[in-house]
Amino acid sequence: MNREKLYDIAEYWFQEQGWKPFKFQKDTWKAFLQGKNGLLNAPTGSGKTYALWFPIVLNYIKNNPDYKTKHKKGLKAIWITPLRALSQEIKQSAERITLDLDTQMTVGIRSGDTTTKERAQQKKQMPDLLITTPESLQLLLATKGYDKIFKDCSAIVVDEWHEILGTKRGVQMELALSRLKNISSQLRIWGISATIGNLEQARDVLLGMETQVLENSVLIKANINKKITVKSIIPKKMETFPWRGHLGLHLLEEVVPIINNSKTTLLFTNTRSQCEIWFQKILEKHPEYAGEMAMHHGSINKETRVWVENAIRNEQLKAVVCTSSLDLGVDFAPVETVIQIGGPKGVARFLQRAGRSGHRPGKESVIYFLPTHAIELIEASALQKAVKLNTVEDRMPYLNSYDVLLQYLTTLAISDGFYPKEIYQEIKQTFCYQALTEEKWQWLLNFLVMGSQSLQSYDEYKKVEIEEDGKFKVNNRGVAMRHRFQIGTIVGDVNIAVKYQKGGYIGSIEEFFISKLNRGDVFTFAGRNLEFIRIKEMTVQVKNSNKKTNKISSWMGSRLTLSAQMSELLRNELYSSSEPNKNQSAEIRALAPLFERQRRDSIVPKPSEFLIETFKTRDGYHHLFYPFEGRFVHEAMGSLLGYRISLLSPITFSLAFNDYGFELLSDQPIDIQQVLDNDLFTKDFMLDDLQKSLNATEMARRRFRDVAIISGMVFTGYPKKGIKMKHLQSSSQLLFDVFRDYEPDNLLFQQAFTETFEHQLEEGRLRLSLERIATQEIVWKQCSKPTPFSFPLITDRMSREKLSSEKLADRIKKMAALLMKK
Amino acid sequence: MTHSITLRNQIFEMHFSGSLFWVEKSMLLISDVHLGKVSHFRKYGAAVPQQAVQQNFEALTSVVNHFKPESIVFLGDLFHSSLNTEWALFTEWVKTISAEITLVSGNHDIISPIKYEALAIKVIPELIIDSFLLTHHPEERDGIFNFSGHIHPAIKLSGLGRQSVRLPCFYKTEHQMIVPAFGEFTGTHTLEPCDGCEIYALLGDAVLPVPIKEVKKKRNYRK
Repeated sequence: MNREKLYDIAEYWFQEQGWKPFKFQKDTWKAFLQGKNGLLNAPTGSGKTYALWFPIVLNYIKNNPDYKTKHKKGLKAIWITPLRALSQEIKQSAERITLDLDTQMTVGIRSGDTTTKERAQQKKQMPDLLITTPESLQLLLATKGYDKIFKDCSAIVVDEWHEILGTKRGVQMELALSRLKNISSQLRIWGISATIGNLEQARDVLLGMETQVLENSVLIKANINKKITVKSIIPKKMETFPWRGHLGLHLLEEVVPIINNSKTTLLFTNTRSQCEIWFQKILEKHPEYAGEMAMHHGSINKETRVWVENAIRNEQLKAVVCTSSLDLGVDFAPVETVIQIGGPKGVARFLQRAGRSGHRPGKESVIYFLPTHAIELIEASALQKAVKLNTVEDRMPYLNSYDVLLQYLTTLAISDGFYPKEIYQEIKQTFCYQALTEEKWQWLLNFLVMGSQSLQSYDEYKKVEIEEDGKFKVNNRGVAMRHRFQIGTIVGDVNIAVKYQKGGYIGSIEEFFISKLNRGDVFTFAGRNLEFIRIKEMTVQVKNSNKKTNKISSWMGSRLTLSAQMSELLRNELYSSSEPNKNQSAEIRALAPLFERQRRDSIVPKPSEFLIETFKTRDGYHHLFYPFEGRFVHEAMGSLLGYRISLLSPITFSLAFNDYGFELLSDQPIDIQQVLDNDLFTKDFMLDDLQKSLNATEMARRRFRDVAIISGMVFTGYPKKGIKMKHLQSSSQLLFDVFRDYEPDNLLFQQAFTETFEHQLEEGRLRLSLERIATQEIVWKQCSKPTPFSFPLITDRMSREKLSSEKLADRIKKMAALLMKK
Repeated sequence: MTHSITLRNQIFEMHFSGSLFWVEKSMLLISDVHLGKVSHFRKYGAAVPQQAVQQNFEALTSVVNHFKPESIVFLGDLFHSSLNTEWALFTEWVKTISAEITLVSGNHDIISPIKYEALAIKVIPELIIDSFLLTHHPEERDGIFNFSGHIHPAIKLSGLGRQSVRLPCFYKTEHQMIVPAFGEFTGTHTLEPCDGCEIYALLGDAVLPVPIKEVKKKRNYRK
């Protein structure tokens, strides 16, 4: 069958549905059938699944002209989704095509939710089209004879690639692809991504650095222009609106008319605990919503989530309070309005959330921004501009993640084993490991086999063995079993299941939260008040309670930062406060009382000014700096400056950061004049100083956690079998100390520092902002009490960093153990 | 380097390593060494630096040389898990020690007492000397003062400027003292101070009594 005839089949199907294929869909069909690889840039709900399922099926038809009567078995294509919750929906759209076109193709799902029975069946006979997650794909590579499974696979599609790209799951994906390329000769690689700043790079990372593969590829853009309206919810009385906070409950009543005026409203919160609180509070104040309102976040059990998703589609719900768990996939036609509570910290994310409303082509998307404190209104104003200019961020891919590579090599070693020569060639083609030297490669191999760089006496280290012909192989069943459990744990804290004493799974919760609870404590989770009974074998046993509580389950989650473009927009909005009224946005005008208050004791900086404030409270001496460059740059600049000051004389700091500035808090005052005289904002020796400051703070220590888990050094335990593994559990903190003391040149230990450097401190942006500060006039204000700008910073108790150049003994002299009086 | 306290007319010296020396009896108390933990992890494929193994034995030797005790009592969790190659290192170490060694057994001590007896080490569930009770788990008994381990106690110190430090410590209440974990790579559990307790923190090269300050819950800042 020639290509034209194949298109006819597809077009006819579209006609039957009363649709017309978009240009991007037709372009994708063509490129795919020509054997090309590619990246499709298309938003959710645009028909992207049909853009790729169709050519996969058409290609099968082409190769099997008697497809209606005969079924050629075996895996034809893999569809990767980052969220297993989406797989059902993807399966349905695939089945629509395979059934309507009278093929006998089968569609299957393989994820953490797949039963053992189903897995075994799949192992015997793979479905033609397989929908799976990055982790489950790795697990397939951990099965014996995996090369036969993938031999005739014609395509792998990585959906929502923008979500995976900047994470270690992205690296996992790169590695799996590097293997599949070599065992499936017919393989086409396709990605689907929402709009991000570095689309070209996203394609390179997906396809790898092999010129042949890249040259035979396309980048297709859907170009669906959607009208997005952003509206800020501006508090009516600025005087009583708080200067700090992250909940936004002050504006709860403003949300009510919005919910009432739209079919379904999604309220996006930034954290799961915030989600819990909003859900509680709305119901408390407006019990009339009971039964018409629901909550959705990643830690609620699957059945409830699926129920909520279906209820949205069936128009049974007026409002849903949710987190990023509803960012992706799932077409929710009835959603007319979206409310973002608190800064979304990213234009791309904001746009994606906005896109959840007005899902039908031609409809406009409406998103409300609800600020949680006064200064966030500046962000609201900047966001509006950013949406207009479509300034979306980059997603930065990881480089040289030794932890993921070690995990991958162990995976290969437990299935069929591997020959280092062959695999080294493959991974050198990936974006992540393109610069990996032979020396480092040898280091990693030694580490796998000996757990160190040379054989040691009295050592029983056991993991990978080298067989006679040079094959690296795991022959120990225990090692293999533990590793399989470890593959899924590439991100996240130790999660514990929450269950009723009588049974009944409610959801999962991070260990750190539970560790703070005592028997009888009542906490809110999944919208219920639960009494903590005990922890037993990695599950938390609870019972329902009628007691009121202020303990709300919380999760650490990841911290996000403003991009360079967004920071610039933010500064411009701030500067506009000094301009005539007519040049100001409504948000900035509403903030007039706050700016006035700020000017009383300090200033609102102009473009030519850099503001430093100092004052004393009962907490100590506060020193505040306002570069307005986004959290990560402030983390870097705060550490750098703190480190340089600590060289002048012994001092200890507690550092706080947000998107507007940073604080150095100490028990002694810093002489700011001395800071300026010594030119401590200089970019000379910046890199060197920054590296040293990293050793002085704890940032790398926190990064090390993931590295230790992924590389298999910290065992997180078997799900529900936790107790047996207790003797193998240690904290990554402990491990960090041991490495620091005995093996500081270990590549995994080093990786924690490199990652902090590359992914958190944004050295390049730091340099630019130091250059900018060098051109500004520094205004030092000695204030009598906290200013509005300083408020969110000085009241931050949670996410503080420490830095000290004092001797421990000297520090301790000024301290005491605190005995809380009730 | 050490800090002495008197309990029921007996003098006890707390050492910065976390060990406790009973002067009158010339007895050294050491808790939670967790020997073999590093090797155990390595055996199961977690590449903890092997050099950490030596540190435990060096620290043991150095504290024994310091006090030159007539007897040594381990307050449980001497070995982390089942037998591994560190047992051989331990055997070597025991040969260098002239003091009488006793193990008050802890929850981790699953190695057969026969192995210990072969090294002339007594393994017992608890030890009562005068009105002092030595156990692994903290216990309360009438008229008795209890020394124990198990908890790996640490204390959080706070100061002006939102400063805080966590340090392993000796944790003493009226009739009880919990001894810190001696071993490398063992971790700590932070305890809250309580009414009437005394806390002695380990500073790396010294033992320091910790001042305890009563505080009320802080109010937030006002605008």
